[in-house]
Amino acid sequence: MSASAIAVAILLTGGIVIELACCAGVLLAEDAYDKLHYLGPAAIVGPLLIGSAIIVRESFGQAGIKSLLTAVLLMIASPVLSHATARALYVRRRDHADDVTASPS
Amino acid sequence: MNEWLIAAALLLLGLVPCGLVVLRGSIVEALVGLQMAGILQTVVLLLMAEGLHRPPFFDLAVVLALLSLAGGLVFARMLERWV
Repeated sequence: MSASAIAVAILLTGGIVIELACCAGVLLAEDAYDKLHYLGPAAIVGPLLIGSAIIVRESFGQAGIKSLLTAVLLMIASPVLSHATARALYVRRRDHADDVTASPS
Repeated sequence: MNEWLIAAALLLLGLVPCGLVVLRGSIVEALVGLQMAGILQTVVLLLMAEGLHRPPFFDLAVVLALLSLAGGLVFARMLERWV
């Protein structure tokens, strides 16, 4: 077994474990804010490890560059999406709290 | 079936918890589950493209990563304003 095959196996296993652990975290966390925390590692560490495995196998050819591009896109998109979702949840809770605390006129 | 396709099949199992969150959680929790499913599907497409030795299929993963961002932003904005 060559060194590159071992590296690919380690990187793939790490990526899969992180992705599945984050899925379990999304399922088990109680609040939507808590669930949002698990999107970060799933979108940053997991794709980076799996993209690295593809680069180790394919070098920087078409496949390697596109997998790297996908990992970078996910890395950029995840914080933006998490922020937008957390803001939506905040606004919804704030508006709901206003409805609850508003005195009837 | 090579190691890439096995990895893709394993990752598909992760869609089950995402589906449960979408079906059972609140509407914002469902959005989080949807985003997680989008991330998983993007990685699965990467693994399938590598496992099937079809380099053009990597474009699908790139496009899905971009569309997941756009779709997630639209859903978040909609939840913030109207639903």
